[in-house]
Amino acid sequence: MLIALETLIGGLMLGALYALFGLGLSLSLGVMRMINIAHGDLIVLGAYLCSVVMQMFGIGPFLSLMLVVPLMFVIGMLLQSLLLNRVVGQGTLSPLLLTFGLSIVLQNFLQETFSADTRSLQAGDIALRGFDLGGVSIGLLPLLSTVVSVIIFAGTSWLINGSHLGRQARAVADDPATARLVGVDDRNFYALITGFILAVIAMAAVLYGIRTPFAPTSGPERLLYSFEAVVLGGLGNIWGTFIGGVVIGVAQLFGAKISSGLGPFFGHLVFLVALLARPEGLFRRIQR
Amino acid sequence: MLSIESVDAYYGLFQALFGLSFSISPGETVALIGSNGAGKSTLLKTIVGAVRVRRDGVRLDGRDVGGDTEPQQLARGIALVPEGRRLFGSLTVLENLQLAARNGRAGPWTIPRLMQEFPVMKEFQHRPSTALSGGQQQLVAISRALVCNPNYLLCDEISLGLSPLAVNDVYGLLSRARGDGLAVVLVEQNVTRALAESGRFYCIQKGRVALSGKSADADHAAVAQAYFGM
Amino acid sequence: MSDTPTIMPAAPNVLRTAMLPLTMALIGCAVLVALPWYASFATQRLLVEGFTVFAIAMAWNLLAGYGGLVVVGHQMFVGVGAYALFASSNWLGLNPWLCLPVAALVSALFSLISSVPMFRLSGAHFAVGTWVLAEMLHILTLNTSWLGAGAGMPLEALGDFDRWTRNAGVYWAALAVGLGALAIATTVLHGPLGLALMSVRDNEAAALASGVSVRRAKLSLWLISGTMTGLAGAVSYMNTLQVTPDATFSLNWTAIAIFTAVLGGIGTLEGPLVGTVLYFLLREVFADYGAWYLIGLGMLAIATMVVAPGGAWSLIARRWPIDLLGVRRSMPPL
Repeated sequence: MLIALETLIGGLMLGALYALFGLGLSLSLGVMRMINIAHGDLIVLGAYLCSVVMQMFGIGPFLSLMLVVPLMFVIGMLLQSLLLNRVVGQGTLSPLLLTFGLSIVLQNFLQETFSADTRSLQAGDIALRGFDLGGVSIGLLPLLSTVVSVIIFAGTSWLINGSHLGRQARAVADDPATARLVGVDDRNFYALITGFILAVIAMAAVLYGIRTPFAPTSGPERLLYSFEAVVLGGLGNIWGTFIGGVVIGVAQLFGAKISSGLGPFFGHLVFLVALLARPEGLFRRIQR
Repeated sequence: MLSIESVDAYYGLFQALFGLSFSISPGETVALIGSNGAGKSTLLKTIVGAVRVRRDGVRLDGRDVGGDTEPQQLARGIALVPEGRRLFGSLTVLENLQLAARNGRAGPWTIPRLMQEFPVMKEFQHRPSTALSGGQQQLVAISRALVCNPNYLLCDEISLGLSPLAVNDVYGLLSRARGDGLAVVLVEQNVTRALAESGRFYCIQKGRVALSGKSADADHAAVAQAYFGM
Repeated sequence: MSDTPTIMPAAPNVLRTAMLPLTMALIGCAVLVALPWYASFATQRLLVEGFTVFAIAMAWNLLAGYGGLVVVGHQMFVGVGAYALFASSNWLGLNPWLCLPVAALVSALFSLISSVPMFRLSGAHFAVGTWVLAEMLHILTLNTSWLGAGAGMPLEALGDFDRWTRNAGVYWAALAVGLGALAIATTVLHGPLGLALMSVRDNEAAALASGVSVRRAKLSLWLISGTMTGLAGAVSYMNTLQVTPDATFSLNWTAIAIFTAVLGGIGTLEGPLVGTVLYFLLREVFADYGAWYLIGLGMLAIATMVVAPGGAWSLIARRWPIDLLGVRRSMPPL
């Protein structure tokens, strides 16, 4: 019983990280109607950038974000305005194939630059510390990443629902041509959104890199978890993505208890079964 | 003064405008009449930059502004109320206005003033814009353009599909806007209404100006001939 | 000496020009079939790869270019076909060539079953959904001891054949798969299914209204494509003698199919043909550069999508307006 509770809490905290992976994908699908196959590879790129900055300045992973977050923001803006804007709004095929190519390029670039070896981000003893809560041991790092994830979700949710930025995002998602008529430059706005997405990715990447060793080829798996969180939660629903991520995290940890190699399999299985029952996701899009 | 100088416009391979010229002075109201597919909407879209046009195709106060984007034209004071109203369904009525007000220019038209002129809009301000009736949606759509405080307001089929009562409301709002010195271009199916509301008119047929003149002097037989191309 | 010119009757002339392409095709086939008697093992193995990659790319192109079904988990068909061949041959001790129909049958059955969950999704969701399914099969085979788990399986029965027979046999099987893929794709697109797909691609709502069963058309395409890929996967792994979960269910298979179709031209029959030739040319010349080669290939695919979305074939067809197989279609505005 205690083990089940510990697995559940562990799954919730793992899921909060998956949800954070998924947040960016949710925004690009929701606002730009575009899937980014290279999303997972960009997470891995973020982790490598942190690693480089840490070595260069001899600082910890969280401090490295001071540099990596703005850097990723700029990379996102350039990526969108130079490349992705050429295929956005053209249906499924073109953006999907373009970002698929980008994913291959990124993976091999990382491999060429950093070798195929795995590495991880060293955060000192915070990664090892934990505390006991009624017999259930809780790691400090998973708890921290859960708190960070919830804060970022709350902030994004507030931005979308209560700010000028969010009103622009929803207007562009509804009807880009009319959004231009009320002064929203959709192309520039997409660049801003992708910059924001990559900044969020940078923060997710640090939490991921401290928790799990990563390699140049780790990206596709991150993309699948992100995608499952988004689709399970229902498109265009920010908190739905959070719950979707949590469901996948819990399913994976319980699956791993059944057979150690089958954790991700059960995550995928729960995703497929849930989708068969509700193809539009667990939560329909809520029109404000 | 806003003018279009012998412009050709295309949708892909299809040519919609053929060497068309058009002009409107500050404070003036000009009606564009013509049958479906004559090119009236294309003309409006060309002015705001939604359809490609050469640099000197559109002139504003002596400057060439053709080929610029919709946001750039909005900043210069040219706003379009699109056909079919096209409110943002994910935004409330108030949010539709807030979005436009923030991106538009400062001026006499503010959200509180619009709410005051249309108490019914104030009542519905927190509803999703899709929950309104057609007439109410049209008022919001015009208000959304007005809060940008344009000098030139381009209206595409603003009475289409509305009840006669709602049409009166819509034109009531327009006449108040004109009272503030706003120039208005009206694309209108209802020829009688269009001529009654405007000072000058252009009758467009197959992408060319077939007839133009003062609305008060318009000869109905000549207009009908230009309209139907008979 | 006679000054009378020989007058050729018109009819045989016409007959001769009509016979020419057919004669050329027959000679071409004969040259290809006889290849094991005059070409090296290395050449044969390269051509086996070529024919199977062509068939897989054509299958992917049928789905994406004609059915609007963009598949990212295409490797699942390769894996299912290859594992079906290896497992049936090893367990029953049968001649692997006799097991190829089994591989085709299992692939067809798998396509049918997998269509149930997959066809509930559409667009980008469908695309990544197929990837999730492929990943599930990958993890399952990794954890299934009677399929050899992570180490995979060799194809034991192939050891009974001498080297020449083995190479020639695999080569002929691959040749059959390649030519079969071309023939089936051409036939399908000229037939009623092709017509239904074209109308769906032009306007799904209108096609529905005029009585085209969109679901049935897409399901047929999915079955044909899945079986074609499964069979090509089986033959391809006869060439390498060993299946492993990591290689057989690798995303690389989809990547190759996508590169080939994109470079050649999506939504054309000639595209995968041109793409396969381009892909192998690039690989033979640049593969030594390792990761840089793959970076270059990815960038080439990106550039193609941006600059010439119709691929190399669209550039060729623009210059010399020919329609080899008579089923040219412009790229779908998906």
